[in-house]
Amino acid sequence: MSLSSLEIIYFLLSIGVILLFGRGIGELFRNIKQPIIIGEIIAGIFLGPTILGSISPSLYNYLFNYSPQVNIAFNGFNLLALVLLMLVLGLEIDLSLALSQGKAASLISVFGVIIPFTLGFAVSYLFPTSLGITDVSMKLPFSLFIGTALSITALPVVAKTLMDLNLFKTDIGLTIITSAMFNDLIGWIVFSLIIGMLGHTLHPMEFHWLIISIISFVSIVLLIGRKLINYVIPKLEKVTSYPGGIINFIFVLGLLSAVITEYIGIHAIFGAFIMGIAIGDSVHLKEDTREIIQQFVTNIFAPIFFVSIGLKINFITNFDLLLVIIFLSLSVAGKMLGSLLGARLGGIKKENSIIIGLGLNVHGAIEIILGTIALQNNLIQERVFVALVIMALTTSITSAPLMNYFLKRSRKFLSFVKLVKSENVFFTNAKTKSEVIKELCNKISIYHKLSNEKLLEEVLTREELISTGLEKHLAIPHAKVNIPNPLVAVAIHKDGIEFDSLDGLPAKLIILLITPQNDPELQLKLLAEISRMLGDKERIDKLINSGNATEFVSNLNQLS
Amino acid sequence: MVFKKLGLAITFSPNAKALLKTAKRLQELFSAQLCLIHVGDKNKSTEAQLFSLLDDVGIDENKYEMVWQNGDPSKVIIDTCSAKGVDLLIAGALEKESMLKYYIGSVARTIMREAECSVLILTKPTEEQKPFQEFFVLVEYSEVGENAVRKAYQFALLENAKELGLIKEIQTPGLAITISDGSSTQETEKRRTDWQYEEELKLRVFAKEMKLGNINLKTVCLYGKQGWESSNYVKQNGGEIFVVPSPTKKLKLFDRIFQHDLEFIIKQIPCALLIIKEKYN
Repeated sequence: MSLSSLEIIYFLLSIGVILLFGRGIGELFRNIKQPIIIGEIIAGIFLGPTILGSISPSLYNYLFNYSPQVNIAFNGFNLLALVLLMLVLGLEIDLSLALSQGKAASLISVFGVIIPFTLGFAVSYLFPTSLGITDVSMKLPFSLFIGTALSITALPVVAKTLMDLNLFKTDIGLTIITSAMFNDLIGWIVFSLIIGMLGHTLHPMEFHWLIISIISFVSIVLLIGRKLINYVIPKLEKVTSYPGGIINFIFVLGLLSAVITEYIGIHAIFGAFIMGIAIGDSVHLKEDTREIIQQFVTNIFAPIFFVSIGLKINFITNFDLLLVIIFLSLSVAGKMLGSLLGARLGGIKKENSIIIGLGLNVHGAIEIILGTIALQNNLIQERVFVALVIMALTTSITSAPLMNYFLKRSRKFLSFVKLVKSENVFFTNAKTKSEVIKELCNKISIYHKLSNEKLLEEVLTREELISTGLEKHLAIPHAKVNIPNPLVAVAIHKDGIEFDSLDGLPAKLIILLITPQNDPELQLKLLAEISRMLGDKERIDKLINSGNATEFVSNLNQLS
Repeated sequence: MVFKKLGLAITFSPNAKALLKTAKRLQELFSAQLCLIHVGDKNKSTEAQLFSLLDDVGIDENKYEMVWQNGDPSKVIIDTCSAKGVDLLIAGALEKESMLKYYIGSVARTIMREAECSVLILTKPTEEQKPFQEFFVLVEYSEVGENAVRKAYQFALLENAKELGLIKEIQTPGLAITISDGSSTQETEKRRTDWQYEEELKLRVFAKEMKLGNINLKTVCLYGKQGWESSNYVKQNGGEIFVVPSPTKKLKLFDRIFQHDLEFIIKQIPCALLIIKEKYN
């Protein structure tokens, strides 16, 4: 049986409309610094029964419900989109990263999954009806599902948030990314178990066989498959056109793996995800190949999937405020508690633990994918799904602003410009280099209650190694001492002072930089930032010519 | 003093003479003591074999300490080094082991992973002794990392090396996936270029802070998988000795299965490898 000419027209038209609205509204959200998938989901709600279906049911039916054949074709396309989406998500999971991280990251990864999972599982197991179970006999898979949905983290949103907040290369950023990757892996393994338990597959299995199948599949792909792929990629690059050959290879493997998992009774998307991990681990897979695949899948296939979520469900009639509140509360409590506990046990400071908890409490696309499959398998009701989607969107939207709020309170992540406060800027007539250093140390020790002698000793010891007098009237004396956060004081000497500078000129702008002893990289980062910002004479002169401390801070802000 | 007491795991293999010659040269270079460790029976035959070898190499009998002990080779060597206060253990190793041996762990690989002192691994020891000329060191901004750079610098100065290359690796896992959340390729590319620039600047500041002035210094920032990128770079750029700080965690079987950092270097050793264990004092 094939599609009629009209069916082909409506099928292609529906795809075109989805891509147009998905991208259009997605771009609007991107412009206001929100995840693009939020726009795509809202596009679906707009095009679906919630809005278009209510205003013009005939237009909605023509576009998205023309005939059963068109629906089958669309569902097939949608499944392919989902499989490819999971493949690219897997590509970015780096298992070795978790192993290379320290104790704190491991603890956060483990507790960040266990606590929200346990909380979600316990509440839904004890009160399944309140949480919208469809069939009470399915209490165990239902509770497992709610636990998984609450513990999973959306890696794409996390990665983008870290990039926007400039945390990507920090210890905290790496900890969040590692934990998010670990959360994803565990979440999908548990979810494959749930799908198998539902028994709606080609080969329904006993529970123990299901576990054996999942473990065997993951082990074979990640232990043997991964090595073989790493061996094959460079060979393939030599004999095929780049990057077409490699991209084709990745998609073929992803689809093949999806076929295997679907056949053995887990879900197709699990196979694609695990194969993605195995492929992404290869040291030979180039960064631009990853990006091309990401572009291809996320701009063509992902919108189809995310827009289609709203096409079948009415988000107004299925909206259950109480359920939304319960899910949001459980999610925030579980994630924050788990991350805080892991971070505190790993020796991370409280304010940074909160940032990590907020960073990981993002459910986004991953939870929506989980929810869609649970809905398709009649594990959850539509109102549960809607509540999960709203929770995913809420956590995605609020994560970055909340993290930003706590970041501002943690001085560790401040840039040099933000560290300079007018009360620590002064004009001096000191006669010698050691005199001005003494004044600077005095300034810092008064404001931050540090031992002046100890501070002075550290700075002068460092100064003895090699002079910190640079060029163009700039000097940056610095030291590492036992403090939690970096400190800065600035002295301006209008006439200049002898500072053994590289170019022999007297120093007029003297910046004292004190950083924590246990963070050598932070000192380098701030020194590099100052060097980059004050690289030319005009900029330094502008600061030296400031009339007072407030004007100095204002001029400095203009330069950043 | 770069190293105070050298240890050499001595066998009667074809490489034994070349390794002894290197140990002798480095002993003189560092003005250090030398401790020779042989795992196996001490009898007339093995003693005669050893003395003949030492005679050939020209090691004076007053200038070394000899330890004979039976047992598991890697354990005996590691324990002896700890007991005798060896701070640099020299050993030979294959550039690459068979897959099975790599996972099970050969004597040389076990020493690299588990010794408490610094380890110098020679993959192609030669009887003709030449100073190392092309030094590379993997930079880490930590106490062990600073010590590795300082030791590499002092070693390179003693060898009168042509060049010391400081390598810093940058890894940003998950960057490509930001595209799926609305980032453009230009945006990620720009971010990567900015980070590269920032890291290069930091590395130059680091070199200045470490006061590495009396040598021809080169700084390189590499983007990609840690351990893998630097190892390839050193090999491709004719490195003769690669100095790396040891990881803070003990490497285990899982680290071999999902390789990262030092495991990439250990799996396929690019040239002579010096693993620095201790913090800078």
